[in-house]
Amino acid sequence: MTLTDSENGRIAARQTFGLNEKKILVTGASKGIGREVAIQCAAAGARLLVCGRDTSRLSDTFMSLEGHGHVAIECELTDERARQRLALECEQLDGIVHCAGIRGLSPMKMVSESFLLQVMQTNYVAPMMLTRHLLARGKVSTGASLVFMSSIAALTGTAGVGPYAGSKAALIGSVRPLALEVAKRGVRANVLCPGLVETTLITEDKTWFEESCKRYPLGIGQPGDIAHACLYFLSDASRKVTGCVFSMDGGVEFA
Amino acid sequence: MIVITGASSGIGASVAQSCARLGAKVVLTGRDAVRLQTVSSSLPGSLHQTVVGDLLDGATLEAIINSEESFDGLVSCAGIASLVPMRMSSQGYLKGLLDVNYVAPMDLTRLMIQSKKLRHGSSLVYVSALSARAAPQAAGAYSASKAALEAAVRTIGLEHAKHRIRANCIAPGYVETPMLQKLSGTSNLTQKISLAPLGTLTPDDVAPAAVWLLSSASKWITRSTLTIDGGISLPIRS
Repeated sequence: MTLTDSENGRIAARQTFGLNEKKILVTGASKGIGREVAIQCAAAGARLLVCGRDTSRLSDTFMSLEGHGHVAIECELTDERARQRLALECEQLDGIVHCAGIRGLSPMKMVSESFLLQVMQTNYVAPMMLTRHLLARGKVSTGASLVFMSSIAALTGTAGVGPYAGSKAALIGSVRPLALEVAKRGVRANVLCPGLVETTLITEDKTWFEESCKRYPLGIGQPGDIAHACLYFLSDASRKVTGCVFSMDGGVEFA
Repeated sequence: MIVITGASSGIGASVAQSCARLGAKVVLTGRDAVRLQTVSSSLPGSLHQTVVGDLLDGATLEAIINSEESFDGLVSCAGIASLVPMRMSSQGYLKGLLDVNYVAPMDLTRLMIQSKKLRHGSSLVYVSALSARAAPQAAGAYSASKAALEAAVRTIGLEHAKHRIRANCIAPGYVETPMLQKLSGTSNLTQKISLAPLGTLTPDDVAPAAVWLLSSASKWITRSTLTIDGGISLPIRS
């Protein structure tokens, strides 16, 4: 986050945007955006609690973290008891980045109720209820920052992404009341709405992927782009920013 | 090399301080020569420049453009605010606010681009206001000028993406600045300001966002607006 390569500049940037010894929970950390968020947070000086479903990939993320004192917990966050256990076992947190999510693609005229519920469970209920349990158990420190990963899909219309878009829009709906409720203790809650980011979630369908890229004036995003934004939202540099729904999408004209 | 307008006080002065602290060279512009010099001499580093003048004066814009060989960014902080109900807002009054808050920053941007002094990968940051969407009482002309700014900035971002030039806005709520103090003198804003769930904002709460949007850490962010308001807009329908 420096404006030059000077040593003094780097030190000043670290003072402003660093996460010096902050304890940060990142869900969905075994791959994609979550993995990169965890790596960048560790590089900025945070102590990480990384959470994911895939043991070997999660341990791969864990091994990539700079510094000491990090913890990896394998956890299925759609399981209510697993969420409660995580909230019980984890340390006091200075920040949470909810990255765990699934693709929820289906035309609305054909979607099954069970699929819609599954997408809502994973993308909306899990992060909200985990936050609720962490708050109830006093695990969210004064001045902490909560970051929810929504999507440009919540703000734009694209055929075929109805279930996903609904679950990501639900996050935005609940974050504003949450932000008001936790402000008394200086806790902040914000939502990021990334456009297309190069992760395995989207590169599977190659033709669609290449077509989509053309609509992004600055190209599609890299996980690191989202991770850098998280550093701003987690650090004290954004201490007065709350309830913000922030778009980051390479300037896409229409999704 | 970053151009900062409205640098003699408030948000602009704080942005200048942050940019210089993080190692940037800055060109500071403002109307008050004495205050501008005070800000400039308080900055770490050397080689900073000042251009004294009104941004509505073509000579000032020219002096800014000629101050350096090339630029890496702009933080447009110069702006004015006043409270007048729409029924009493004359044509001259409406145009006056538009000129300072919208036309002047666009004119400066145009010259920076036309002179080809804006480097590949530059970042343009404009201080808008929450009012552009909240549109509070007696702030019609001010809100409209900031809304105009936000819309034009989105177009700039689209038109210059091929040169990796990014354009974004920061929309602060009420920030404790000389501009706000002047406003409070004419109306009772104190009660409104104290409503922010995270308390009042100072320029130092806004400056880090400008630095982030200037830096390559935000290289994928363009045509966006970052609201910084301590949560005061949470109950507002936008």
